[in-house]
Amino acid sequence: MARSVWKGPFVDGYLLSKVDAAKASGRNEIIKIWTRRSTILPQFVGLVFGVYNGHKFLPVQVTENMVGHKFGEFSPTRTFTGHSSDKKAKRG
Amino acid sequence: MPQEQILMGVVGRPHGVRGLVHVHSYTADPAALPGYGVLDDDRGRRFRLRWKTEGVAEIFQIIDAKRVPVTTREAAQALVNTRLYLPRAKLPPVEEDEFYLTDLIGLEAVDGEGKLLGTITTVHDYGAGTSLEIGSLLIPFTRACVPVVDIAAGRVTVLVPVEVPIAPDAVP
Repeated sequence: MARSVWKGPFVDGYLLSKVDAAKASGRNEIIKIWTRRSTILPQFVGLVFGVYNGHKFLPVQVTENMVGHKFGEFSPTRTFTGHSSDKKAKRG
Repeated sequence: MPQEQILMGVVGRPHGVRGLVHVHSYTADPAALPGYGVLDDDRGRRFRLRWKTEGVAEIFQIIDAKRVPVTTREAAQALVNTRLYLPRAKLPPVEEDEFYLTDLIGLEAVDGEGKLLGTITTVHDYGAGTSLEIGSLLIPFTRACVPVVDIAAGRVTVLVPVEVPIAPDAVP
């Protein structure tokens, strides 16, 4: 067994506490986190996190496809501003 | 330019000696730009494009309903930095819960009680859902947070999500 598999996914402890609190409340909440290194677990699917990029908390809506990735992958630290022209946004 | 004109691309440097030009396409699919048909510029001139290779196009000016091709490098050089616009009405209709970014940007955001929060300045999408930037706020573009989008009235209703509280002893 590979060492990384044996060790399991890494998640910061305070993140799990916040997720439990958010699930218990059932309100329209955003979970602000600084832990970009934490792995996205299946129990996070459907929640909205605010992932810090050193400047702002970028909203990250967790979907099934994102499980196994790190939070930091979805909160870029450098700004890219493109043109809107015919681009569309889908309301989740 | 009036607000109903949408910037779709910009003519770049000439390519070769037969009037071809590089075109910077701002559409979601860059290759789709010629498919929008006639494009206008700031001075009221009208153009059509046809891709020759990736990023390089043959350009035609529409004069008296006729296509006049640009055939020389000098004529192509004269078109450098020409901004190409499309009337908003020519964009195809969108599906339910889908919005053009150009429609969203500039809308006023009000909270549930009608108090003004600001104006949508940018729409972000980094692969984890769309979010709206309203002043210093970043709001997930979801039904829970943005229940009403009224483009005709020029406003969206935003329910700012609260932050999850956490007990001090839970932080390592």
